[in-house]
Amino acid sequence: MFVKFSLVRQAVILAALAILPGAGEAIYFRGKISWRSAILPSESVTVDQARAWGENTIWVDARPDEEFERDHVPGAIALNEDRWNELLTQFLAVWSPGKKVVVYCSSLSCNASREVARRLRKEAQLSDVFVLEGGWEAWLKKR
Amino acid sequence: MSKTPNAQLSTSNLQLSGDASTSNIKNRTSNILRRIVDLIVAGVFIYAGAIKALDPVQFASDIDNYKILPWPISVALAFYLPWLEIFCGFALVVRLLYRGALSILTTLILTFTLMTIAAKVLGLDITCGCFGHASQNWSFPSHLATNLAILAALVVLSFKAASGNRPQSVV
Repeated sequence: MFVKFSLVRQAVILAALAILPGAGEAIYFRGKISWRSAILPSESVTVDQARAWGENTIWVDARPDEEFERDHVPGAIALNEDRWNELLTQFLAVWSPGKKVVVYCSSLSCNASREVARRLRKEAQLSDVFVLEGGWEAWLKKR
Repeated sequence: MSKTPNAQLSTSNLQLSGDASTSNIKNRTSNILRRIVDLIVAGVFIYAGAIKALDPVQFASDIDNYKILPWPISVALAFYLPWLEIFCGFALVVRLLYRGALSILTTLILTFTLMTIAAKVLGLDITCGCFGHASQNWSFPSHLATNLAILAALVVLSFKAASGNRPQSVV
């Protein structure tokens, strides 16, 4: 039977059809993404926790160069997306297996640390990469 | 010497037939062109949707970068929007729910374009996430030009569909 649908009906049908695979994908990826926070709890770390790791930690500053030059966590290495390739080489020269990498940016709302951490995991194939909760602001409060 | 009525009729029929054939060729060319645009637009959205559907975590992060929506909404959209794009793309290919697909894709591309412009105005140095990682290094003008070209194609297709010169939607 041939049925002619109005524009709105057609749009609603298409919109409804897309829910099914979307829901399926949400179930499939449930362990890889958190609905509560942009960072999985297992991939973030507090200032106190990171400090407790001591010498085993590499601090990575994902903020722009000028902010890094102004001030940074002692011993931190700059690694931002503006000069990714150049800075990644410098970072990998310092990194060694077994070290925990803690990436931070300005504050709780910035995304740079998340992006840098994601790229380190994906592009550099590193596993122990964490995002510092609260970023540089949290570090300043605890200093 | 004047033509006989039969000869006049025959000439007039020939002219009509010639006009009809020219009109047919024009219509056919126009239909082929529209079908090509259909397939290009469909291909773009199916490709863009597939790339994002393969990496919804990255797409959720790209949506969140705009700082407009709360994180749970960004996640929901990251799972949903790619499939909507894919379904609408296929709807254009198979000409099912055609006008509905055009209206959804036009709304989507308009939203993406406005968000890209808003991000630029707000000084957010972010990627639009329109084509997943493939668009990560695109400049703002490239994004805008691509989006506007797609929008123009969609508007033309919608206009043609609305004017009645369109394939019938059947189920």
